[in-house]
Amino acid sequence: MSSHREAPEISKDPAADSTDVYAFMHPTEDDQVVIIANFYPLQQPNGGPNFYEFADDVVYEINISNTNKCQPDVTYRFNFRTEIRNPSFLYNTGQITSLDAPEWNRPQTYNVVRLEKMGRRNEKAVQIGGRFPVPPVNVGPRSTPNYEDLANSAITTVGPRKFFAGQRTDAFFVDLGSIFDLGALRPFNGAHLLPMAAMDGINSVQSYNCHTIAIQVPRSDLVKGGNPTASFKDRKNTIGVWATASRRNARIFEDKTGTYKGAGPKKQVSRLGNPLFNEVLVPMTQKDKWNTTEPKNDSDYADTVLQPELQTLLPFLYPGVFPNLEAYDKPRADLAAILLTGIPGGVVTDGEGKSIFQNYTGPVQADMLRLNTAIPPTDPESDSYSIYGVVGGDIGGFPNGRRLEDDVVGISLRAVAGATIPLVDPDYTPDETAAQLRDGTSYTGDPLLTEFPFLAHPGGGYQTVPGTSTFEDPAS
Amino acid sequence: MSETSRRNFMAAAGAGAAATTAVALSAGSAQAKPAMPSRKGAKESVVALIDDHRGDTLRLLVGEDEVIVRDRDLVTRILNAAGGK
Repeated sequence: MSSHREAPEISKDPAADSTDVYAFMHPTEDDQVVIIANFYPLQQPNGGPNFYEFADDVVYEINISNTNKCQPDVTYRFNFRTEIRNPSFLYNTGQITSLDAPEWNRPQTYNVVRLEKMGRRNEKAVQIGGRFPVPPVNVGPRSTPNYEDLANSAITTVGPRKFFAGQRTDAFFVDLGSIFDLGALRPFNGAHLLPMAAMDGINSVQSYNCHTIAIQVPRSDLVKGGNPTASFKDRKNTIGVWATASRRNARIFEDKTGTYKGAGPKKQVSRLGNPLFNEVLVPMTQKDKWNTTEPKNDSDYADTVLQPELQTLLPFLYPGVFPNLEAYDKPRADLAAILLTGIPGGVVTDGEGKSIFQNYTGPVQADMLRLNTAIPPTDPESDSYSIYGVVGGDIGGFPNGRRLEDDVVGISLRAVAGATIPLVDPDYTPDETAAQLRDGTSYTGDPLLTEFPFLAHPGGGYQTVPGTSTFEDPAS
Repeated sequence: MSETSRRNFMAAAGAGAAATTAVALSAGSAQAKPAMPSRKGAKESVVALIDDHRGDTLRLLVGEDEVIVRDRDLVTRILNAAGGK
C-alpha cells in the first residue's frame, strides 16, 4: 500500500500514520498548486461510537523544499483541538446540520502556521489562522444529513488560499490481499510460481476512509523567492513535497483522567514523499528509523533504491517472464532519478528528441514528491492523458507530482520491472511484460470531486455494507 | 539534588525558548543543604531519562522542551533511587 501501516511502529499509531501525498497543478485555476496529505488509514465508515479524528497530540506538517538542499524551506503546520460539548456518551445527540450544531458532541478545530526558512538558522512563522473547522465524520443520513454541504462548509478560504482538514474517501487503490500473498498480481496469476486462474484485481481500499489535510495555494507561495517562471527548464519551478507527523518525545499516562499527555519536544514518527518508498524499498529493520529521518539524509537508503529487493523477487515469482531483468546487474540509476534526485532534462523527450520535462532538484538524494510547477496540468480528455503518468507519456502525472487518479502501483511495478531502465541505459530492452504490469485495480469509491479538496466525500457509516471474507482456498 | 545543580536545572527548564538546553555542572558542586524551590522551576510533570547508566547525562522532558543536565553525581543518585536505595 502506498504507506498505510508500512512500518512496524507506525502501524500501531494510526492517527499519526501518513498514508499518501498528492501534489498537482490545479486543473482549472492557473498557478494554483494543490497538496493533499492523508493520514489515519483504513477507516471503516461505521467505526463508532468513537469515530475517527485527528489526534490533538500529533503535529501534522506538509513540507516543501524549494532549493537543492532538500530540506523543509516552507512548512505548513497543523495542530488540532478537540472539544467536548455535552456529557452524552454519544458522538452526536441529534442531527448535525451545521458545524456549530450543539448536537455534535466532539467537534474539532485546527490552526495553521506557515514556517519559512530564512537563511541558515532563522525561521519565519506566520499564523495563517486558528480554529478552522473540521467537519464531522459521515455518520449516516440521520446524524449527518446533507453531508456534502456540511463538509463543504468546512473549507476555509484565506485570500487566494484554501484549507481543508477532515474525513474523505481514500483515493488510493491497490490489491493488498493479492500483493502481500507472495507478490501475486491477479491478472498475471497464471504466470506466478504458484499459479492460479487469472482474474481482475480487487481494490482492498474500497469503502475505507482516511483523514485528509489539503491545501490549495499559489505556486508563488512555494517556490524560492516567491517568483516562479514559465519555463519548465528553470529549476526553481520544481518543488519537493513530503508530509510528516510528529509526537512529543514521551507520553505520560495520567491516572486521574485515564488519558495520556505529552512531554518533551516533538519527534517525527511518520513521513511520506513518493508512494511506496518506505513500504516497498526500505528493509524491515530500517523502516521505523526511516520514518524519523529527513529526506536530505536519504543517501543512507540509496542502496535499497539502486538494488531493490523486488527486482530480484519478480523473476523468482514469475519464472521465465523477466529474463532481461534477471540478467540486469547494474545499479538502478533510473529509480534513483525518479525517487531520489528527480529526472534531469533531456531524459524525457518528444518524438523528435526534444526535452519536454525535468524535475531534477540537484544531487542530494532525497525521497520527495517532485512537482515541476511550470508544467501545466494535462486535460483528462486529451490523448496525452494517462493514469500511468510519465511512464505512460503524460508529463502531468507521477512522478511529476502525483494526481489522485494516477495508478502509482502500476507505475511502480513497471518501473521496478525495468520499463524505465532505457531512460538511463538505452542498450537495455525491457521484458515484454514490464510495460503491462498492473495489479488490476482501479479507484472504486464515489466519484472524485472536480473542485477543492478533490477527494470524494467519505463513505457514510449507515450506508456501509461489510465486505466478504473466507478462510477457504479459492483454488480448491 | 544539590542546590547548585537544582538551580541550574530550573533555570534551564524555565528558559523554554530552545527545544534543547544543555546544562553543564562542575564536578563536586553537590552541597548538603536541602534544595530550595525556584520561581522559575517547572510546575508540571517532568520525565527524566538516563540513556547510559555509565554516563553523566540526564535528559529532562518538560513541557515542549528537553533539558540536558550533565551531572554524574545526580545520575548516580537517580540510579540508586531507581534501584530502591
